[in-house]
Formats: sequence, structure tokens, C-alpha cells
Amino acid sequence: MQPTKLVATLGIFHENAVEFILVGGLAAVLNGAPIQTYDVDLVYSREPRNIERLLIVLDSIDAIFRMQPERRLKPAMSHLVGSGHLNLLTRYGPVDLLATIGNGLSYQDLLSHSAEMDIGQGIRIRVLDLETLISIKEQLAGEKDVAVLPVLRQTLRETRKK
Amino acid sequence: MADGMVSDAPVPDYSEDGVDLTLIRWMLSLTPAERLIFLEERINEILAIRELNAAD
Repeated sequence: MQPTKLVATLGIFHENAVEFILVGGLAAVLNGAPIQTYDVDLVYSREPRNIERLLIVLDSIDAIFRMQPERRLKPAMSHLVGSGHLNLLTRYGPVDLLATIGNGLSYQDLLSHSAEMDIGQGIRIRVLDLETLISIKEQLAGEKDVAVLPVLRQTLRETRKK
Repeated sequence: MADGMVSDAPVPDYSEDGVDLTLIRWMLSLTPAERLIFLEERINEILAIRELNAAD
């Protein structure tokens, strides 16, 4: 198995001017929450130009759907314009592309709840804030979401003390 | 407590619901870039160990 390359993954989207917001577990880690996560969850803008840029990047990192990887199905424009989630495997590791999260929150809806972060190597990306991450996980209330909530809430409390 | 006074109360290591606050404070002492590198290294170490043991 190839090593996971989180910075490289985020960097290639950034370099190709793809508009996205990092959400999920990795966003929680960048906000300071000590949790373990393996995939990269991105909410992307569904503007036509952005989807074109996204497709170029996905092709360059050999993205295929994680379900039935032996079929090596590649994501297409028709998949990206929809409102669903695309669970992909790339040569840098797993990447989940999300048109919306929570109760239908899109890239545009989440922009004001995100902040730019410097992740090194001159790469700055938008990351969802901890308050919104908590709120979405509270709404979803799945087992996985509920399990991580105490750590996220305590991280938010400690952040506010700083 | 009045402004400017320092509390002598010990800072708890764990929250009431069992969360390790020392780990959170350590994470918050890192920059986002350092947090990302730490996670990336940990993931790769775990994957390497899992691969080593996959044949067992």
C-alpha cells in the first residue's frame, strides 16, 4: 500500500485552483482535535468551471470509485454535478468529494463558516470551523459522529480559553 | 476571580466525560501544518504495521 499523502492531496487541489472546503475528521484535526482519521473529505463548489478543474485533478491523481475498485470506475461530470457523495480512491489515498453535508449545506453555505489555514509548503486551504463541524455531527447523530463529539466539544472549549 | 489574579486550582487532565485534555492542549500547541504532518506520519506508521501483520 502506498503511503497516505495528506499535504500532497490537498496541495494538488489548491494548485489547480479548485474551490473546496475541508470538512470531516481532517478539518477537526486541523482545528486541533486529537482524533484519528484516514480520508480527506472535501465539499466542493458545483460551479461548472470548478467541476472542470476538479475533473482534471481527479484524472491526474488516478481517482476511481472505492466501491468495486477492481472495476476502476472513474468519476465523471455527471457524478460531480449531482448532490451526492463520491467516495474515491486516489494514488495519494482515499478522498471523499461531497456536494453537500448536513442538511443540504453546500460550498456556498459553508464559506462563511470556514477559515483559511496555512498547511505548509505555501499551501493555504479553507477549513470548516469547529463550531459548524460539531453542529453538523449533532444533526447527523450517527454512531461515528456521536462518538467523536466529546473530543470536539472539549477542543472547542480549550480553544476558547486561548 | 479578579482580573489579573492567577488561580491555584489544578488544571484537570481529563474532562468530566473522560476526554484527555492534555492531548487537546498539546494539539493546540502545534500549528495546523504540524498537526497535518503528525497525522500523516501516524497514519503511515499504522498502515505499515498493518501491512506487516497482514499475512498473519
